[in-house]
Formats: sequence, C-alpha cells, structure tokens
Amino acid sequence: MSDREMTTLQRDGVAVTKERLYRLLLAGCAALTLAVTSGIIIALLGGTVSFFSEVSIVAYLTGTEWSPVINGKFGVLPLLSGTLVITVVSAVVALPIGLSIAVYLSEYATPKVRSVLKPALEILAAIPTVVYGYFALVYVTPFLDDVLPLDFGTFNALSAGVAVGLVIIPMVSSISEDAISSVPDSLRNAAYGLGSTKFDVSTKVVVPAATSGIVSSYVLALSRAIGETMIVVIAAGLSPKMPFFPDVLKNLTNSVQTITSGIVQVAGAENASGVLLNAMFALGMTLFVLTLTMNILAEAVRRRYREEYS
Amino acid sequence: MAAETDPTFDGGSELRRRKLLGQVFEGVLVASTLVGVLALVALFVLIGNDALGPAEADASWFLLYFVTLVAPTSVYTLLVRRDEVASSINGLSFATVFGSLIGSAVVYVVVDSVRPHDVAIYLVVGSLFPALVLAYNRITGGSHYTGPALPVSILFGLVSARILYPFIIPVISIVADWILFVVVVTGPVAAGLGLFVTSRWSRRYGAVTAVAVLGATLATAGVAITQGIDPALSVVLVSVVAGPVAVVSLDTFKRRETGRYGLLGPWLLIGGIVAGAWLERQLGIEGLETWLTPTLLLNSWSSFRPEQAGIYPQLVGSVLVVGTMAVLSFPVGVGAAIYLEEYAPSTGWRGRLATALDVNISNLAGVPSVVYGLLGLALFQNFFGVAPWLPRALGLKPSLVIAAAATLGLLILPIVIVSSQEALRSVPDELRQGSYGLGASRWQTIRNVVLPEAVPGILTGMILALGRAIGETAPLVIIGVATTTYSAPEGVFGSAAALPLQIFASAANSIPEYRTGVVAAASVILLATMLIMNSTAILIRNRYENN
Repeated sequence: MSDREMTTLQRDGVAVTKERLYRLLLAGCAALTLAVTSGIIIALLGGTVSFFSEVSIVAYLTGTEWSPVINGKFGVLPLLSGTLVITVVSAVVALPIGLSIAVYLSEYATPKVRSVLKPALEILAAIPTVVYGYFALVYVTPFLDDVLPLDFGTFNALSAGVAVGLVIIPMVSSISEDAISSVPDSLRNAAYGLGSTKFDVSTKVVVPAATSGIVSSYVLALSRAIGETMIVVIAAGLSPKMPFFPDVLKNLTNSVQTITSGIVQVAGAENASGVLLNAMFALGMTLFVLTLTMNILAEAVRRRYREEYS
Repeated sequence: MAAETDPTFDGGSELRRRKLLGQVFEGVLVASTLVGVLALVALFVLIGNDALGPAEADASWFLLYFVTLVAPTSVYTLLVRRDEVASSINGLSFATVFGSLIGSAVVYVVVDSVRPHDVAIYLVVGSLFPALVLAYNRITGGSHYTGPALPVSILFGLVSARILYPFIIPVISIVADWILFVVVVTGPVAAGLGLFVTSRWSRRYGAVTAVAVLGATLATAGVAITQGIDPALSVVLVSVVAGPVAVVSLDTFKRRETGRYGLLGPWLLIGGIVAGAWLERQLGIEGLETWLTPTLLLNSWSSFRPEQAGIYPQLVGSVLVVGTMAVLSFPVGVGAAIYLEEYAPSTGWRGRLATALDVNISNLAGVPSVVYGLLGLALFQNFFGVAPWLPRALGLKPSLVIAAAATLGLLILPIVIVSSQEALRSVPDELRQGSYGLGASRWQTIRNVVLPEAVPGILTGMILALGRAIGETAPLVIIGVATTTYSAPEGVFGSAAALPLQIFASAANSIPEYRTGVVAAASVILLATMLIMNSTAILIRNRYENN
C-alpha cells in the first residue's frame, strides 16, 4: 500500500479534532456529577464549620433542647428522636408489607396480575410527598383518631410515619422482588423435588437466598424515610421533643420534629442569618452523613452477602 | 396399614396442616398487597371526593353523563379494541388532540408570562445565526464545521439578542401582542407542519398546508377582533391545536384504508362532556359541587375567600420552573450517560474514574432532596461563601425561576443519567459494529445509530424525571421560593412560584373550605399531572418494548 492510499484512509484533521471535542464535552457532562457531589460537601462543610465555631459540637450532639429561633438552643437530640420515631413507624408499616408484596409478585401472582399491580404500586412512590403530607394531616389523622383509642394531636407522629411508610413500600417491594426473582429456578425445583410445598419454598429457600437483597432494600428504604421532608413538615408538626419513655405511645400521638423539618423550619424563619442559617447546614450535614452511611451500608450488604449463582 | 407406606408419615393431618399453612401464608401476602393498593385508592378517592363533590349531585346528573359520555365512549372502546389498525389510529388521534391542547395551554401561558415582545426578540434574532449555519450546510452539502457551529451559533444568537434588546424593544412594543403571537407561535408551527406534509406528500401540499394554517389563524384573529375579544388566545388555539389536529387527521384519513373511525375517539370524549354540560344547564340539573372550576385554574390566589382563590400563578410557575429545568438538565444528563456508556473505557485510570462516577451517581440519587435545597441556597446565595459577589453580578437570587430550575435540575440529574444509561445499554452492539464497519466515526455512530434506537428509553426516563420535579417541594422551600404567590413569574429571571408550595402553605389552613376544598382540588391537579406523565411513560415503554 502506498503512502497516498494510507492518507485517504485517515480521517482529516478537522474530523479528528471534532471527535475529540465531542468526547471532551460529554466527559464534561459526566464530570459535572462529581462537581455536584463536591458542591454538596463544600456547601454543607462551610456552614457546619462556621456553626461549630459558635456552638460547641458537644452541646450540639448532647443537647436535649432544640429551640434555635427563640432561645438559641441547638441540641440535636430531640430532632434525632423525632426522626427515629418517624422511621420506626414507617418501617413497621413498610418492611413487612413491602416484603410480602415482593414475595407475592414474584412467587404467587400470575403474569396478568403482576402487569396490573406493578405499575399501580409504582404510583405509590410517584405521588408528590406534599400530597401525602396533606393526606396524612387531613384524612389519616382523623381516621386514626376514630379507630384507635388514643388521643391524637392535630399534628402527630403516627399519621406522618404511616404516610412515609406508604412512600417507601414500592422501594422495598421492587428491590426485594429483583433479589427474589434472581434466585435461580433450580433451587426452587430442588426444594419441590424434596417434597416442599410452595410455602416451604418461599419461606425456607427463596427468601433466605435473597436475604442480602432484601436487607439492602430495607436499609435503602429507611435511609429514604430519614430524608423524607414534606410529609413530616406538614403532618408531624414542628415541635421538637425528647422521647417519652415509660409512656411510649405518647411518642406516636404527639407532634415531633425531625432533622428535615428542623431544616425547613429554620429556612422559613424570618431573615435567618448568621448562626441560625449555619445551623441549617449543620443539620443538613448530619442528615447527609446519616443517609450516605446507610446507602453505602446497603450497597456493601448487597455485595458482601450476595450469593453467586451462575 | 400396607407395608409400602412409610409408617412415620401421617398423611392425612400433616398434609392438611401444611395445606392450611400455605393458604394462610398466601392470604397474608394477598392482604398485604391489598393494603398497599387500598391505601392508594383511599388517597385518590378521599381527595377526589372533596375536590369534586359528587355526593351533592342529583341522580339525574349521573344518568345524563352516562348517556352522553360513558355509554358512547364504552361502546366505542369495545369496538376499537377489537381492531388493531383502528386502535393504533385511536392512540395517535388521542395523542394529537390532547397533546396539542396541553401544548397550546403551555405555550400561551409561557409566552404570556414571559411577555410576547421578549419571546419574539429572542426567537427571531436568536434563530438568525443558526438559520445561516443550516443554509451554509445545505449549500455545501454537509461540512465538518456545521455540527459544532450550530450550538455556538445559538448561543451567539441569544447573546446578540440580549445586546440588541434595548434597541429593538421601542420599535417592537408598538406591535400588538397577538401579532407577536402569530410570529412566535403560528410561524414555527406552520413551517413545521409544512415540512411534515412535504416529507409525506409533496412540496406543493406542504406549501398549501403552511399557507392554510397561517390564513386560518389570521382569519380567526380577525373575527376575534370584530367581536371585541383578545385574539391572542384564539391565535394559539388555531395554530397549535387546529393545525396539527387537521393535518394528522387528514394524513391518517388519506393513508389508511380501514379503521378510520379510530380518529373519532377524542371527539367522542370531548363531545360527550360538552353535550353533558350543555344539557345540564338547559335542564337545570343539580351537578357536582366541585372545587375544580375555571375560577381555580384562572384566578390568582386569595387568602381569605376560598371561592375566589385560584392557582394560575402557581401553575404558570410550575410550568416555567420545570420547563427551564428540562432545558438545563436533560442535555447534561444524556451527555453524561453517553460518555459513561459509549466512551468511558473499562480499564486504566479512565476506567477507574468511570466506575467512580457511576458509584457517585448512585450515591447522588440517594441524597435527600432537602440537601439539594441547601446546595442551591449555597450556590445562588453567596456561591459557597467563596465569591459572594458572583450571583449578584449575574443577577441571580435563590428565589428566582432560574435558580429553582437549576436546583431541581441537579436533583433529577442522577435519575436522567441512570435511565439514559439503561436505554443506551439496551442498544445491541451489532448495530454499533455495523456502523463502525461502514466507516462511521464514534460520534457519527452515536448520533445516527445509537441515539435514535435509545430515544424511547431516554424519553421515558425524562418524563418520569419531569413528574418527580413537578411535585418536588422541599428544595424550593429551602432556597426561599415564596410559598404563597399572587402573581405569575415574569420570565426566567422572575420570582419563582410552584403549585406544590401552595399546597404546603394551605394544607393546615384554619378555614375548612381551603383545607378540604381548594387544596384538595390543587392536589387533584398535581395528581392528575403525575398520572398522565407516568402513564405516558409506561405507554412509550410498552410500545417500543414490543417492537
């Protein structure tokens, strides 16, 4: 092959430059996601550092009173307690229901039932959370008040927690279902061959084999519940409380404040500035660290305990 | 007992016990699933009931609408479902009619709130340079430079429009609004329809179509002026709704031999509602006690008179914020997905970087939305405290439409990237290899082969992301967008507003008519938007998965 023919096979300089340019632009788009993460960390860190230069970190982590606007008390424990209450309630609602739905959809439901139920359940996660908050406040609370022999406040943790539970059901069910349906059929058939019933196969073979995926879905869903904002702001009220101890039910019937609703309350305060504004970022940092840890944990569980079938 | 039976196996009772256990277990599973579904139904029924008030309606009202609406559409649906051609025509017809109706509302509202003069200046001046580039491309028969030159020329056009703005505005402000609507809405629609008809039939028909759309629009405007009505809305309706609907209907009618009755679907629905409403008024039947009225859609918010309260500013705000967000975020998201799927190698430091980016994106998807609000606040308030002068120099504040759009854009970025990645991954490698084999470069392969294949998947992800963004409230509260707004935002640099914020602000209103009336109706609008978007996404996904 002569030199001349070689050059005709080469793309000309402009074309090569153009290809490089596009590649660079697209890489820039991908790199922007790193910038977003750095932006979040810088934003949170900046506010948090300024906050802890004025409020001691010990006072923040061990303080039992959160009253930033009126008294300048910045104890995070009441907010953590509120977050815990909401998360526990939502877990009680969502974890069993979500797992049952996953087992039902993958082991029992006919394809036709599945094709109707799956999109319907996806809608549960797609409904705007502000609507859930409104639903919890205006419809769920009066309903609970009628049904349960407890004295509910207008704003209470139970109705908000139940609504948060509804939001995270599809998360539990879809991730668990993925894990369950990736259990190979050979395991099921082997169990049937040993004389197991469908109940035995589901509870003693399939669910144990999918444990890592199920646990990971639980952790992810709880992380989502911790970060849920609008439902809690609207339906759980904005009064931070330390947990009621011997009288546990009071935790459910009373108004609580979570980390997220604490952030929203400060954001809504008239001309928030200085230490108040920074408190918002400190809470944001707390929330970010909490949810990120749980998300990483979920991924680690999924990887570490995943059974390899292939 | 026979010798061959296992003596330890007590068949009867053990089997019965296990059978019962299995049945109970299945019952529990079904019950849990039903709890999820029932919660969903309860939410829709309770909120819908308060918003629409069907309990107040007379029995004859239900009978009336059964006769005019439910019966004809049910019969029609049964007919259409049996005929595959008619059913696909029906789908197209529904998409055209209701798509263009929604489109016309969005176009009118956006152009009206951004001011027709501004839109006209940016559109006309801004499209001059891209038009030149395209003309050059046409003349030279495709040049290396036109691809990269197009976005640059758009940017250049917008910047020059900004510079020329003060000089043009005195001249253009004497022109009536409706003429500007003709320029910015009818012009592009007529040209687009003309090109569509040209590609399907002939250049002559194309020209006729364009002229017909323009003529019909001007004629309607003329009639509106003689009647003393503002012609702007009729201009938009005729060009955005009547034009496309007529073209698609005629095109389908001439192309298809059978199943033409599929075109009737949307008209049966609209006709049933109109006839029902007319008869309801004529016969004086007690109708729904609904809060979902034109007043709600068209009025501004009123804090003290629920029957006068409207959510027009909030609707316009939501449309503007989410639309701007789409423009800012979707190209970046798809670009990132293209890089990660098509360019990033799997080995070497670049490969490790790509893996890190993937992990980072999935972590970003799990960051609570309030945290994005804090990011937006830090970004647009004082630029992380690093350069507090920067946002001010750019004319940015956290409560503006553009800042709200950017904040939501960062929030949905992971969703767009992940769904686009999935769509790109599902394009078979043979197509890429085939394209490379024909001598196409990587970018040519992506643009001409991979992207067109992946479009339905990417579109599905975008629609779901839009649905998520429309209901997002917390980040907007954090960046300080006003929760109650009395006037619509004036363009992209105006103060933002959004429908979910008003629901948030009024959910606990002490006046019960707000709590269980206006807010319920606003929630129904939000829920309906979400449902329409989700079902469109599912329809697109099913349609292309089957093909």
